[in-house]
Amino acid sequence: MAGGSVFECKEYLFKVLVIGELGVGKTSIIKRYVHQLFSQHYRATIGVDFALKVINWDSKTLVRLQLWDIAGQERFGNMTRVYYKEAVGAFVVFDVTRGSTFEAVSKWKHDLDSKVKLANGNPIPSVLLANKCDQKKESSNNTALMDNFCKETGFLGWFETSAKDNINVDEAARFLVENILANDKGLPYEESNGDRIKLDQETVAAESKSGCC
Amino acid sequence: MQKPAEEDAQILLSLLISKSFTLTAAIEACLSHLLKRRAAGFLRSDKIAALFTKVGKVYDTAGEVCRKVQEQLQQQADLTRRSQSVGHEPLRRQGSSTTSRPPQPLSAQAIKHIWVRTALFEKVLDKIVQYIVDNSSKYYEREALMHDLVFGPILAVLLVGPCALEYTKLKTSDHFWTDPSANELVQRHRIHGAHRGQDTSAGRRPALGIRKRQSSGSMSDDRFAASAREYVESLHQNSRTHLLYGKNNVLVQPKKDMEVLRGYFSLHQAGDNLTLKWTPNKLINGTLGDCDLEKSIYWDYALTVPLRQIVCIHCHQRPDCGGTLVLVSQDGIQRPPLHFPPGGHLLAFLACLETGLLPRGQLEPPLWSQKGKGKVFPKLKKRSSTARLIDQDRNGEEPTAADYVFRIVYPGYRYDANHGEMMEMQGFGGSPSSWQQAGVPTLESQCQSCSTAGSNVSFDYPAGCTCIHDPLDIHTIPLKMLCQNMKRQIVSRAFYGWLAYCRHLSTVRTHLSALVNHNIVPPDRPCEASGGLSKEVWSKYQKDCKNYKELELLRLVYYGGVQHDIRKEVWPFLLGHYKFGMGKKDMSQIDAKISERYQQVMREWKACEVIVKQREKEMQSAIFAKLSSGSSIDSHVLRLVHRDSTLSNEVFMSVDEPDAGSQETPSGEDSTPTMTTLGPPAALPPEERPLVEFDSPDSGLPSSRNYSVTSAHSQILSSIDDGQSTEEEGGGGEEGRTSGVLGRRQDSLTEDRLCSQLDKLVTNGAAAEAISPSLSSYTIELLDTIALNLHRIDKDVQRCDRNYYYFTTANLEKLRNIMCSYVWEHLEMGYVQGMCDLLAPLMVILDDECLAYSCFTQLMKRMSQNFPNGGAMDTHFANMRSLIQILDSELFELMQQNGDYTHFYFCYRWFLLDFKRELLYEDVFAVWEVIWVAPRISSQHFVLFLALALVTVYREIIVDNNMDFTDIIKFFNEMAERHDVQHILKIARELVHKVQSLMDNK
Repeated sequence: MAGGSVFECKEYLFKVLVIGELGVGKTSIIKRYVHQLFSQHYRATIGVDFALKVINWDSKTLVRLQLWDIAGQERFGNMTRVYYKEAVGAFVVFDVTRGSTFEAVSKWKHDLDSKVKLANGNPIPSVLLANKCDQKKESSNNTALMDNFCKETGFLGWFETSAKDNINVDEAARFLVENILANDKGLPYEESNGDRIKLDQETVAAESKSGCC
Repeated sequence: MQKPAEEDAQILLSLLISKSFTLTAAIEACLSHLLKRRAAGFLRSDKIAALFTKVGKVYDTAGEVCRKVQEQLQQQADLTRRSQSVGHEPLRRQGSSTTSRPPQPLSAQAIKHIWVRTALFEKVLDKIVQYIVDNSSKYYEREALMHDLVFGPILAVLLVGPCALEYTKLKTSDHFWTDPSANELVQRHRIHGAHRGQDTSAGRRPALGIRKRQSSGSMSDDRFAASAREYVESLHQNSRTHLLYGKNNVLVQPKKDMEVLRGYFSLHQAGDNLTLKWTPNKLINGTLGDCDLEKSIYWDYALTVPLRQIVCIHCHQRPDCGGTLVLVSQDGIQRPPLHFPPGGHLLAFLACLETGLLPRGQLEPPLWSQKGKGKVFPKLKKRSSTARLIDQDRNGEEPTAADYVFRIVYPGYRYDANHGEMMEMQGFGGSPSSWQQAGVPTLESQCQSCSTAGSNVSFDYPAGCTCIHDPLDIHTIPLKMLCQNMKRQIVSRAFYGWLAYCRHLSTVRTHLSALVNHNIVPPDRPCEASGGLSKEVWSKYQKDCKNYKELELLRLVYYGGVQHDIRKEVWPFLLGHYKFGMGKKDMSQIDAKISERYQQVMREWKACEVIVKQREKEMQSAIFAKLSSGSSIDSHVLRLVHRDSTLSNEVFMSVDEPDAGSQETPSGEDSTPTMTTLGPPAALPPEERPLVEFDSPDSGLPSSRNYSVTSAHSQILSSIDDGQSTEEEGGGGEEGRTSGVLGRRQDSLTEDRLCSQLDKLVTNGAAAEAISPSLSSYTIELLDTIALNLHRIDKDVQRCDRNYYYFTTANLEKLRNIMCSYVWEHLEMGYVQGMCDLLAPLMVILDDECLAYSCFTQLMKRMSQNFPNGGAMDTHFANMRSLIQILDSELFELMQQNGDYTHFYFCYRWFLLDFKRELLYEDVFAVWEVIWVAPRISSQHFVLFLALALVTVYREIIVDNNMDFTDIIKFFNEMAERHDVQHILKIARELVHKVQSLMDNK
């Protein structure tokens, strides 16, 4: 069957967490990224939600991001532990219009690092998102400051994003995926790339789970 | 000429149906069959493209498909032209399919079949084909398949099915959604399930009930079906086992009073193990349907005998018929006689068996080899050899030299424990007992022959033959001992079985007895309750409320819900705002009382809110005043990192710090009354200070300074009168916000001092108003807590069910008022996400602020337990776990196997919000009523049974797809608001009833 396909794809599945205080726009960022949509009408997330984004990374690589949208007010220590399990990357989101959400960033980061690690014991790659930058009145030159903060707190980097105006969302995601791929922790699994329309159950059942270790 | 065309057509149709050919390719083959050669365009290499284009010109649906195909091809061209850069996701959404699909390189196959594919994905292929069939004369030669009066229409009709399916998320290389959506899974299940007979729900799902996991008899149907198939397959030669011997039409009479069955007798070798099997023909012939095959009682008669268990083989030969073979186990149990057809088959089998036993085992006595004839029965010396001829068979009279006893011996191998071997009696396919019983009458004669045989043999029995043939036994107490042995075994088996069952039942009872009420309230007595609580019944009650039985009303609600029109009146009763039987006067008294209290609470928190805002404003301005004085960034970052540990101290330190700087006073007029009202809620004991919250990142309560500073920034707290959504405010109303993130960073440098000053100021202010100093020390914290909670409430109120018509700005404001009032009274718990979801349906039905407040307070008495500090959630999970373990062990095993699953987090939202997010509003009403009345009617924990019902409804899908932790959460998230609520309620009630009956028959 592989003969019929043009691309021999390596396929990765990455579990990526999206965390941060309530109402900072986690769901909006995800919806923007995955569905290219923005709506005022999202409800508060309770528990966890999922979204899947598939990226044709290059001609030989297909990356599937399983985005875990974790409720902002998730106070079950145990629950986050379970949700974090086997994640290979994370976005920590805060709302630039509300400083308290930035305050919480380091708490989320700390929670994250204490509950999930890469196989080699390193913290999982995480990126800081300063969301709602469209609502920011004026842009002050805070780059150095934020860079420093990221360095101190262990973020790979940060992006000013706006889910509403679609600013930097894709870029941030690409940045994270680059780092995840560089870690190369995902075990690639070959997919048969046949073109057949498969109505049978086996295909689904056989589909392997998260490729990370 | 006609003939070959028809054959072609049939081939094509069969191709279409067969699995070996892809659907698209098959359809293309059909469509391109004998297209008009001379018609324009059909000479092109891509006939399908030509056909579609042609049809598209006259038929709009096809035209649409053409347009889409062109679009895709264009994108492909673009893609190949462009370098394979990542992240080029054009904004344009493609086609009308449900998901937006950025262009992806299509595989060659996909491009080849792009026309048919696209039409299929757009679900119009059937229509287009129908059109083509209707106008086939235009496009086809006379003998073409599509032109055929029968086959053309058949093809079109066949495509209706495939066109009804969602193909958007199929796992093909050009798709990104490799996980099928919940919708698709359900759809597939319906298709799939149909094959298994109509009665899927009742037939295939293991009945709810006690399941003994260890016993083979209660194997679930699914597993049994699988094993049935496997069994039949195992009869053939395969990689694991060798077929040494096979003979059909071997007769067995499984039970004494049964007809003699024909079957297939076979000898298999797997490694060192030999197994004898006899399978009734009925199971093999395929005369039974798939379904019947699984269920057939013939499974009970099939034999599977590991040869290890067999010590002796008795052979009886008669001249008139073939031979009879009786297998005797170590424990003396006889297998039913196997009658071979005439013609030396018995000997042939023995020869195979003897070969199969090598090298470790052998027949005793061995068969003799005779030149030219091969193996023959040994010629025996009369009454002196090891195996002797039995001159008394069952009828006893015929002294023919045709009966033999062969022992199977393993020289050099010794059984250690007789009993151990004997107990593993997996011999018979279904239940061993069926034959055992039948065997009893003949047992005696059998034993006799055996033991007499033994006695003649005297002491030279090898080690292989133990139990019965133990020489000592034989000589002292031969028969009695044997019978006692067997009796003991039978009794002990029965006893242990019974004991295990009892233990299991007691586990069930301990786990479940607390979950349901023990008295069963029936749905049909005193009258049928499925009609629910109607307007008529309700008005009867209202006229004569003293004599109406509350329980009867609740029973109506439980089995049939409340008529929508009267929900507004009934709900306050169900929720405990009013009591049943109350007079009008009492009711209005309660209303008045509640209203008074509500007004009071409103005044309290609104006054506090004013202070909170004031404080924020002041801090903000103070910050900007200090803004110019920059200080080191690093220190700030450092502070951020170490905040957690120092936080709680800082609050107090700031209060005590004497070096207050700025002397602004909080606007006196407002603060004065406020401070006094702060009394009761402020009395948080110091240990309840939000310390608990700090260990979780979101608990969020930032230090008083930071929080106030930053929330001032966004001016999140809308003032009482302007009631605007904070989002707008956040964007617009802040002239003060002069800096972005950076600004705030810098601010925080000075925050420490600044805020402490402010705090001090507030405290001072309060102190000045002659409030006790001990109280004042909590005030800052209180204000922080209030600010945090108000902020969270605002965030959630804004986005509470914005799509539902009821939630206009005005009603959202009411929602906010109620929520703030409740939280004000329960500050120790604070606002937790989800509370708005619980209040919203109450608001919709009651449409009265005060009443909704009261009912919400009542509702939260139970629901607050589910929130993080309540601990009920873990209990729910644990209960779900035991319920599933006991009621559906198969599913439970799947969950175990898939690890984290047992956390039951997929139920989290269900329990937290009483299924509010899982259902449409109308359904939420119906479900909530039942949950509310259930404690009086059937169970305190009705939510568990609802959850179980949801799991039950989709269990096949869960099991078939082998869902893991993530899959199942995802599945149920996607299924939200798609459930058939009446069905689920019905199942939930049945489940309660089942558990109740389980408790009942002690």
